[in-house]
Amino acid sequence: MTDTQPSLQLAATAKPPFYRDATFVKWLVQVATLVVTLFAIGFLAREAGDSLRAKSIQTGFGFLDVDPAISLGEGIDTDPATGGRALWVGMVNTIRMAAAGIVLATILGTLIGIGRLSSNWLVAKLASGFIEYMRNIPLLVHIILFFVTIAVVFPDFGENVDPVTGEVTQGPWNGVIHVSNKGFSVPRVHIEDGFYQWLIIVVIGCFAARWISRQRRITRDQTGNETYPLISALGVVAAFGAIGWFIHPIFGFVGDLLFAPIRDLIDATPPNLVQLLLCVVAIIAAGLWIKGFFDARRTPGDSAKLTDDDWFRVIFAGFAAATACVVFLVLWPGLSSWLVNSSRDLFDVLANKFGEGRGNIGDDPPFGVSMPDIEKRGNFANMGPAGLNLTQGFAAVFFGVVLYTAAFVAEIVRGGILAVPKGQTEAALAVGLRRSTMLRRVILPQAFRVSLPPLGNQYLNLTKNTSLAIAVGYTDVVQVGQTIFNQTGRSLEVFIIWMLFYLACSLTISVVVNFFNVRLKIVER
Amino acid sequence: MSFSDATAAVSDELAARDDIIICDSVDKWYGDFQALKGVSATIKEREVVVVLGPSGSGKSTWIRCINRLEQHQSGRIIVDGVELTNDTRNIEKIRSEVGMVFQQFNLFPHLSVIDNISLAPLWVRKRPRAEAERLASDLLERVGIPEQAEKFPGQLSGGQQQRVAIARALAMEPRIMLFDEPTSALDPEMIKEVLDVMKELAVGGMTMMVVTHEMGFAREVADRVIFMESGEIVEAGTPEHFFTDPQEDRTKLFLSQIL
Amino acid sequence: MSSELEHLARGTAELIANADEREAEDAASRPDEPSLPPLQWLKVNLFSSVLNTALTIVFGLAGVLAYQRLLNWAFSHERNWDAVRVNMRALFTFTYPSSQYGRIWVTLGIVLTLAGLSLGLSRMVGQGVSLKRISIWCMAWGGAVIAGIVLVQPHAKRSADGEILLDADFEPVRESFGTAMADRGWWWLIGVLLLATGLAIWVILGDLKRRKTFVGAIPFTLGVLAFAVSTLWWFHWGNYGQQGDIIEPGRTVKDSAKLPWTAMWFVLTGAYLVGRRISATDRAASVRVVVNLSWLLAPFITFWVILRDPQIDYAHVMSTDLPMALGFMIGGGALLFFLTKPDLGEIGRILGVGLFGIAIFNWVAAFFGIYPMLQKARISFLLLALVALAAHNFAGERAQRLRFVYAWAAVMAILHYLVTMINAPSTVDAPDEFVGGFLVTVYIAVFTMIFSFPLGVLLALGRTSTLPIFRVLSTIYIETVRGVPFITILFFFSTFLNIFLPDGMEIEQLAAAGLGFALFSAAYLAENIRGGLQAVRRGQYEASDALGLSTVQRTGFIVLPQALRVSIPPLVGATISTFKETSLLAIIGIIDFLRVANSVIPGQTVFLGVRMEGLLFVCMIYWIGAYSMSKFSQRLERHLGVGEN
Ligand SMILES: Nc1ncnc2c1ncn2[C@@H]1O[C@H](COP(=O)(O)OP(=O)(O)OP(=O)(O)O)[C@@H](O)[C@H]1O
Ligand SMILES: [Mg+2]
Repeated sequence: MTDTQPSLQLAATAKPPFYRDATFVKWLVQVATLVVTLFAIGFLAREAGDSLRAKSIQTGFGFLDVDPAISLGEGIDTDPATGGRALWVGMVNTIRMAAAGIVLATILGTLIGIGRLSSNWLVAKLASGFIEYMRNIPLLVHIILFFVTIAVVFPDFGENVDPVTGEVTQGPWNGVIHVSNKGFSVPRVHIEDGFYQWLIIVVIGCFAARWISRQRRITRDQTGNETYPLISALGVVAAFGAIGWFIHPIFGFVGDLLFAPIRDLIDATPPNLVQLLLCVVAIIAAGLWIKGFFDARRTPGDSAKLTDDDWFRVIFAGFAAATACVVFLVLWPGLSSWLVNSSRDLFDVLANKFGEGRGNIGDDPPFGVSMPDIEKRGNFANMGPAGLNLTQGFAAVFFGVVLYTAAFVAEIVRGGILAVPKGQTEAALAVGLRRSTMLRRVILPQAFRVSLPPLGNQYLNLTKNTSLAIAVGYTDVVQVGQTIFNQTGRSLEVFIIWMLFYLACSLTISVVVNFFNVRLKIVER
Repeated sequence: MSFSDATAAVSDELAARDDIIICDSVDKWYGDFQALKGVSATIKEREVVVVLGPSGSGKSTWIRCINRLEQHQSGRIIVDGVELTNDTRNIEKIRSEVGMVFQQFNLFPHLSVIDNISLAPLWVRKRPRAEAERLASDLLERVGIPEQAEKFPGQLSGGQQQRVAIARALAMEPRIMLFDEPTSALDPEMIKEVLDVMKELAVGGMTMMVVTHEMGFAREVADRVIFMESGEIVEAGTPEHFFTDPQEDRTKLFLSQIL
Repeated sequence: MSSELEHLARGTAELIANADEREAEDAASRPDEPSLPPLQWLKVNLFSSVLNTALTIVFGLAGVLAYQRLLNWAFSHERNWDAVRVNMRALFTFTYPSSQYGRIWVTLGIVLTLAGLSLGLSRMVGQGVSLKRISIWCMAWGGAVIAGIVLVQPHAKRSADGEILLDADFEPVRESFGTAMADRGWWWLIGVLLLATGLAIWVILGDLKRRKTFVGAIPFTLGVLAFAVSTLWWFHWGNYGQQGDIIEPGRTVKDSAKLPWTAMWFVLTGAYLVGRRISATDRAASVRVVVNLSWLLAPFITFWVILRDPQIDYAHVMSTDLPMALGFMIGGGALLFFLTKPDLGEIGRILGVGLFGIAIFNWVAAFFGIYPMLQKARISFLLLALVALAAHNFAGERAQRLRFVYAWAAVMAILHYLVTMINAPSTVDAPDEFVGGFLVTVYIAVFTMIFSFPLGVLLALGRTSTLPIFRVLSTIYIETVRGVPFITILFFFSTFLNIFLPDGMEIEQLAAAGLGFALFSAAYLAENIRGGLQAVRRGQYEASDALGLSTVQRTGFIVLPQALRVSIPPLVGATISTFKETSLLAIIGIIDFLRVANSVIPGQTVFLGVRMEGLLFVCMIYWIGAYSMSKFSQRLERHLGVGEN
């Protein structure tokens, strides 16, 4: 039956006045908030500009290219030539500490978390004592305590210096590792000219490894024989690395043949073209978004059904694109020339890096090792630049951050294991799995899935917490930044750099964690 | 057989009453899935309509459109002479004209029973507190649980909770009540106590739209039964007609499965 | 997943107790399980397998060694614990004038009264601490003390004039073991007493009784506190002074602190008992509301402490401040009374929007400097406009409207009082950093919690809103703040904030830091509250909509109460974090008590370079604070988990 239409004579719909239109009111409120927010930001920015001018404080990012006249306690370059280089050294220090810290904190934390669940009373108590001690005291206090302890516990650097030769005679392996109250000095592995070409070979190796491990996994699934896909993949990468060690100069050509032309091409690009390109990108992005929006709302047989609310969104997307264009074309013309220059520089650097290592096969190893040395500055001996110097500050921050985070990781791991319902154990035992199989196949995968998101959070925290290095003078990005703004007065600029750097770190960690999270979910499904 | 015929067949008396809900070719999409396909129906004052249909046929969507918990995209819905549009004033009016009872009760767990019921009279109808609370205890009396006033929803049985939910909806003194499977989440012995309250309401002359799988209730109380499938009204008629002499094959199939 | 994991897993399998024993650590608190006889307990818990025996031996030895080293270090003649004792005042209040200490005690008294009342009135149920646990606790500490007495190396011998005697290798000469044991009489007494008490409870009470007799957690805590306070009456705790100079050589911590602390204990206990008494009556609910509202007065109290006697310019107050405050209270109140009329309809809303427009224009005018006006008038007017916009949601009977108006008047009164007070200089002559030490820690922590909470709620609502612009703005704010380290934000506020302020407006470093704390922790609170908001089921929204509640009403009456209840434990967690983060004040140059321990004490001539002692004291205070808060939150969580509804 199709004739369900009642024969009704309905009066025409009256459009409500605008102030009673729900959609309109909703958007009015939002736009008002946006305007007020932008206004407030504008107000503050104007005031900032006024005060800066009034105090005749210089602004701008020029300090990045100027000699900062500071020397750093440790890092890849203790005597940076420019402010930008100094900040970069700080960034590398931060990243170095964060990366090592994440690995160590995860291992330690997992062990402690498992220890807390141990059937051994003593182990469980010690683990929980450690956790309660670490996490109820501020990290900064831990760091300072470690700092002071190192000074007290480790042998005084000056004590064992031979007054005549200046030789330092201490350390577990003299000449290889030095241990003192100034910190540790160990052999440093650094990259040499051949590194970049070698890296290309390793990357190729990674792709090969991926393919091989997939093949082996398929074989395993088909035949049921264990084929050790992960181990074979690692083997392939190692093999590529080993062979690449000798033959990497064959990739020296990419410098001249690939990167140099790109550099020249960019060099030849007029900034106006870049401005236009940016505008086109913005418009295309908005267009794609709007198209996707329409597609999502398209109904079969009918064109898109858009509510007023949807129209507002579309208008805003267009508005955003237009704003971007105005910014690119009018408000900030320097942006495009900056983009041109910096990408030119990037490719220039790449071209040179690849050009340098293009020797004969067997020349220029990718890595080199330099042994710790001791320098005399004035009358005092100090760790020289050759070794990898982990200063007192580094050790304090590192141990502080690692142990502090380990306590939280331990709680997460424990929570993850406890979160697996008891029924899972019972079910696994009921189908006759052995205890170790059950743990491996049933408990741990589920526990890991529960723990991963909070673990990611802890990694973020760890990275941010390394900034407390400033309390003990470890030259991380915040410490370097602070030194620079004390000298140049460029406080806002430094703050912006900090923000971008940490946001980039956070984003990277989130992306990595999310990647595993998604993978795990698929595996588990 | 046409829809208006079905109405006429009920009784001339019913047909003579005013229309209180008018739906005119209402469409509703979720993304590219069409949940309602040109639904048209009129419901008369003091009429009790039971909506039947297989799961996913759009019953809930339809009655949720009637008090604008969902927005329809085309077609028109007119409730008690007020059209449902973006007009904030109309939405407010409809919400206080139409009471709704949910399958999952949706009582406010942090408020006592009496506060649950007096909340809307107090803040929406702007009644004095004393009056709102008096109204609430009267309603509790009416649904048969006056002694539970000070308890919290979590401390009540399912049937009691659903009766509180009905009292809460009635506290707005609505002219129309919508029920979305009010007994589906209840144990069999509790179903009766809720159905009894609903029957009393029907006898008292409330306009009701009820989505339910309780066929006994439909036979006994309904003035009209509407059968929906995949977003369309397939058949409508008096309970006798509907249960004994269904016209459409889809209706027959449905009835053979559930009866 | 892969075979490599298997080895790891197999090792872990050995380590992790089997599933039934997973909660073994909670067994002590599980009253249903009978206690094992000691030998069997040892066998089950320490020597159940070869691996476990090895672990026990290794970790046991390591533990004993570490304990011995720690004690040797702490009781060595090289330690100078006087550095802490003498600097007690510096650690807690820094240079706060001692003539003004009355303020701190009164404040503490008020806070403790409120705390006692709240605890007494709370509906928290719980079993408390079983006698079995107390007994074990006594025995463990008694054992630890006695073990310590034996393990610590004998003291260094001193000559008649107090010099340490050194042997040929420049190591101190130690007393004989027998003399050392005999010297430690007090410690023997403490250890034996503890052990005996524990054993007595254990032996006299049967297993069942031990497990089933509980001391309420709060009475237990009060008892422990009573003991701590009572030590002030019979132990001198050393001399104290300021800045390292022992200014009153004869005067000890005991002399100056015993009376106030005893009074504080009685205030807390008394308030608790009163609270208990009231909670049994039917007025409990209304008293609870009053007590909760009184907590909101905390800013008043802290500012009173900080400002000491503000030098109020009465002429200005009479001519400007008071009329303005009264104007907003009465005028605004009358307007709101009108706007909450039940059937005002759209007139009210249009009026609200108009008012809001004027308020915005008011700020635009400030931007272009068109007409000058006191900032607080602009702020008050903006607030009035916002409240007026929302007023129709609170319409109702007369009493209802009056309540609304009173609330508005109270907010205005507090705001204007605070602004006036903050602008007034202090009369007490004191150094610039007049608040310091632990006082500043507590002050910042309280300030942060009070001011970040409303902002956190707004941000969380914005982030979960269906309105895209609100969502985007809140998300940008939250993610930016959460993405950067706190220290950079703190730097920003303590050094650059003044750059952003209009001419002639300055903000003190401490206030700026407080603002930084509040804005930072708001982002984290917002995430906690968002978790709570997501726990509110969709049906709750639908039911409120179906009843015709407006968005504001739905949020205020239905969604937020439920969301906040769920977020209480994470919110306590956030409070702990804030408490710990206050230590960063030391970095930006505010003299909190970490900085006192880390820089001030080691700089005093008497205690040159003495740092560890103070740091350990700071550790202890932080630990006690954070640990007790986390225990409290665990109890709360259990309580909420039980859930009366
Ligand atoms: N929010 C939504 N988003 C997308 N699809 C939805 C949504 N709500 C409902 N639907 C779809 O619309 C169709 C109709 O749903 P509706 O809830 O109205 O069915 P129903 O007849 O009430 O079924 P039941 O008897 O199971 O309650 C279903 O296919 C459902 O999947
Ligand atoms: Mg349904």
